[in-house]
Amino acid sequence: MSYKKSCVALALMLCAQASLADPIAQTKGKFEDKFRQLDESLPTPNIYRNAAGEPGQQYWQQQVDYKIKASLDEEKRRLSGSQTIHYKNNSPYTLKYLWLQLDQNIFKPDSMAEVTSTFGGGSSPNNEMPAKISLDELRNLQFLADHELGYQLDNIKLADGTKLKFVVVGTQMRIDLPKPLKPAESLQFSMDFAFNIVEEDAVSARSGFEHFPDDKRKGGNDIFLFAQWFPRLVAYTDYEAWTNKEFLGSGEFTLEFGDYEVEMTVPADHIVSSTGDLTNASEVLTKEQQQRLEKAKTAKRPVFIVTEQEALENEKDDTDERKTWRFKANNVRDFAWASSRKFIWDAKGYQQGGADQPFVMAMSFYPKEGGDLWKKYSTESVVHTLEVYSRFSFDYPYSVAQSVNGPVGGMEYPMITFNGPRTELQKDGSRTYSQAEKRFLIGVVIHEVGHIYFPMVVNSDERQWTWMDEGLNSFLDGIAGREWDPQIPWGVEARDITDYMKGDQQEPIMTQSDSVTRLGPNAYTKPAVALNILRDVILGRELFDFAFKEYATRWKFKRPTPSDFFRTMEEASGVDLDWFWRGWFYSTDHVDISLDKVYKLQLDTKDPDIDFERRRKEEQDKPMPIFVELNEAEGKTTWVERNKDVTDFYDENDRFTVTNKERNSYQQFLADLEHWERQVFERAIEENKNYYVLNFSNLGGLVMPILLQLTFEDDSVQEMYIPAEIWRKTPDAVSKLIVTDKTLKQVVVDPKWLTADVDVENNHYPRQIIPSRIEAFKREKSKDLVERDIMQDSKTKLKEPKAKD
Amino acid sequence: MRLILLVLCCLSLQLSAHEMKSAITKVLFNQRTGNIEVMHRFYLHDAEHAVKKLLDKSADLIAKQSTRDSFALYVSSHFQLKSDGQDLKLSLVGNELDGRFFWVYQEVAIPHQLTQLQLRHNSLQSLWPEQVNVVNIEGRGKVKTLKFTPQQQWQQVQLSN
Ligand SMILES: [Zn+2]
Repeated sequence: MSYKKSCVALALMLCAQASLADPIAQTKGKFEDKFRQLDESLPTPNIYRNAAGEPGQQYWQQQVDYKIKASLDEEKRRLSGSQTIHYKNNSPYTLKYLWLQLDQNIFKPDSMAEVTSTFGGGSSPNNEMPAKISLDELRNLQFLADHELGYQLDNIKLADGTKLKFVVVGTQMRIDLPKPLKPAESLQFSMDFAFNIVEEDAVSARSGFEHFPDDKRKGGNDIFLFAQWFPRLVAYTDYEAWTNKEFLGSGEFTLEFGDYEVEMTVPADHIVSSTGDLTNASEVLTKEQQQRLEKAKTAKRPVFIVTEQEALENEKDDTDERKTWRFKANNVRDFAWASSRKFIWDAKGYQQGGADQPFVMAMSFYPKEGGDLWKKYSTESVVHTLEVYSRFSFDYPYSVAQSVNGPVGGMEYPMITFNGPRTELQKDGSRTYSQAEKRFLIGVVIHEVGHIYFPMVVNSDERQWTWMDEGLNSFLDGIAGREWDPQIPWGVEARDITDYMKGDQQEPIMTQSDSVTRLGPNAYTKPAVALNILRDVILGRELFDFAFKEYATRWKFKRPTPSDFFRTMEEASGVDLDWFWRGWFYSTDHVDISLDKVYKLQLDTKDPDIDFERRRKEEQDKPMPIFVELNEAEGKTTWVERNKDVTDFYDENDRFTVTNKERNSYQQFLADLEHWERQVFERAIEENKNYYVLNFSNLGGLVMPILLQLTFEDDSVQEMYIPAEIWRKTPDAVSKLIVTDKTLKQVVVDPKWLTADVDVENNHYPRQIIPSRIEAFKREKSKDLVERDIMQDSKTKLKEPKAKD
Repeated sequence: MRLILLVLCCLSLQLSAHEMKSAITKVLFNQRTGNIEVMHRFYLHDAEHAVKKLLDKSADLIAKQSTRDSFALYVSSHFQLKSDGQDLKLSLVGNELDGRFFWVYQEVAIPHQLTQLQLRHNSLQSLWPEQVNVVNIEGRGKVKTLKFTPQQQWQQVQLSN
């Protein structure tokens, strides 16, 4: 999804933070079991979803098919339509009513989203400071006041004409059935609907129109994007029954799969991009356009179906004629489309192979404002996404994959995505784009097309859990980005999230979408970092990729919940990950492992001739008492020095002198050892290893593996991986014994910054000063090559070197 | 509450899925240097789209040092520290592009006997009402987090030692 400009502010619902009445409690002491199994917190496995995280033996989901006729009134910017819905009750329960989602009603002035939008976008009120309102907020308010928004519904009736009783509740509608719908029964009903299309720039929706006043056509042109544009069934599920939760803006959609036949009547000079296969190409496309599409199937680079020149021609004029485009889409959870006379259209076939969908057509639709940026990179990015994502999940299951440029920054639907980046018109009439804008375009296309897998096919519940689609998708778009060009910093690095995680204002990832205060770090970055760590640090790629693919294929065209993900990853990798889900997804702990102390142990040989000499050496190595040192400095001599003629036994023998008494007891000690004890002892003495004890404390609370780098006196380096389970009995502090032939010089915890440890200074022993960013910056005011203004410099003309006089 | 109208001309908002519309700032009491170090981290996405509005369409954070400097200057004028109502004059140390992030650095010597701090950070909020600037205060006890929205202008924290 998109980061929405939420003038529709986050209504911070109070989520019940009260501790769940846990039947098992630590009632003495402070021990916290960070490895406590999650089962008791996860829903009980049942016949619909089992303990392995798989669809259960009686898994079911409803089937909802739509036949829709829609008509766009461009002048009035109004869409009207009628639809027939075929609802198949696959659940084992009888339904007395159906719930529908009326997403357009979010724009009504009395919608819950509007009425509960808080001034200040979710921050607590401040009574001392004057408040500010921006022009954007005012534009939003004015647009809502000037236009009648929301659905107008009519004619809601059964196939036989029986009128249906219905009740609208905000963005939802209950339809009461005259006769309850039993398991396995179907029902067909229809309705008319219409709404005024919102201006996306004014109200920030996930669809709407964008106006281009400067186009040659009188009054300019629009691009229309249609999403959440028809009343859709609320999902009815085994885990929540009707998933009715008011649409508040942040939490996106929970939807049913079904087959769609949609026809849209639009001005004849419009080009339509839509979910589904175009079934009447011969009626809406010219011969030439159809031939170009044919050619595109095997082309190496995208082929223009509508060229820029043709689009510019279309842009100038008007027509009274209208055309009807027909699309058919099977097994999709939603349906979206776009329409404009401004569209340039390019396409390129992608042979992905496999039995299910060997051929996919990748296509892009964009106005001239998209320019070269779109011509070069949009469709190619679509193909690249399919290549990478399919490897991690399953073959792309649809016949087309599209990227459409319009007013929406980035949003996904089955087979179609809306992507915002564009070129800039310069004063000289040229269109240019910065390197950053190029990255945004490629990045956003990968991200949104990636969403066609998650959640459009792996149909997670977005309204409840943003992270299930955004977190997984951000994780994968990082991988796809790196495979596009590793020079570009796409990925989510563990260190990117440390500032968020160490702060004291955040929620667990497992929080309902509308209650999350900052969706970016919470539902995108943190889960993506967590998955990266799981893959590259904890499980390794082989185990992770197998388990992840298992999750994707298990839930392809089905509806997974978080527990299905957690269970599958654990079950398919064979690794207990409950501590990981607890720490990263269920808590707000952060990672801060501190290496507090390293000390060396030496094994006593018990042989007095060796051990006593060692003690003597230790004593001699102690610094001289300051008193003695100062006396010497003053040139004071001692009595002993002045009277060297008076000596006795103790002048020759100190307290470390070995006598036969000690030698005898040593021999007795050896004689008293059991056979195995003597073997062990003698070997240990012979090997004469170094024994180091490392003391760690867990300051952040989140238990994690300890990644050690040991550097020895001979400059050799040893990496060591200690699994997180080391913390299981003492989650606050642990000691680890390290036995080595060598002498240890330095120890570093997590030297490559892989674990999101928020304080790396305490990862070093001996302590090392880690400069702050400012200190580092001052040290080497970067003479980086990136700093060159290449775009400007490249305009420099080649000059002949000046000849010497 | 008084209502102040922010007058900004010709704003047409282009939103990208990857615009985070949030920045995070570390205010670090660095005992080594004796300075309060302020390190602002912006997503390149946000910053790039912001400079095109704040400066002009040819602004380019990756390609132009001048754009980076202008944006750093902009940020430095939208972040303020006060102690007991007294402005702490931050100097602008520099800026840096690092991967997906753009950093702006400021600093000021740690004043004597500082027990509380008032902060304000309203960068980009006149462009985007949904911009949230988060500030972590570190190096004086537990990390303390403040969240600045357009309606949260000044906030105060008590400092531990
Ligand atoms: Zn997304």
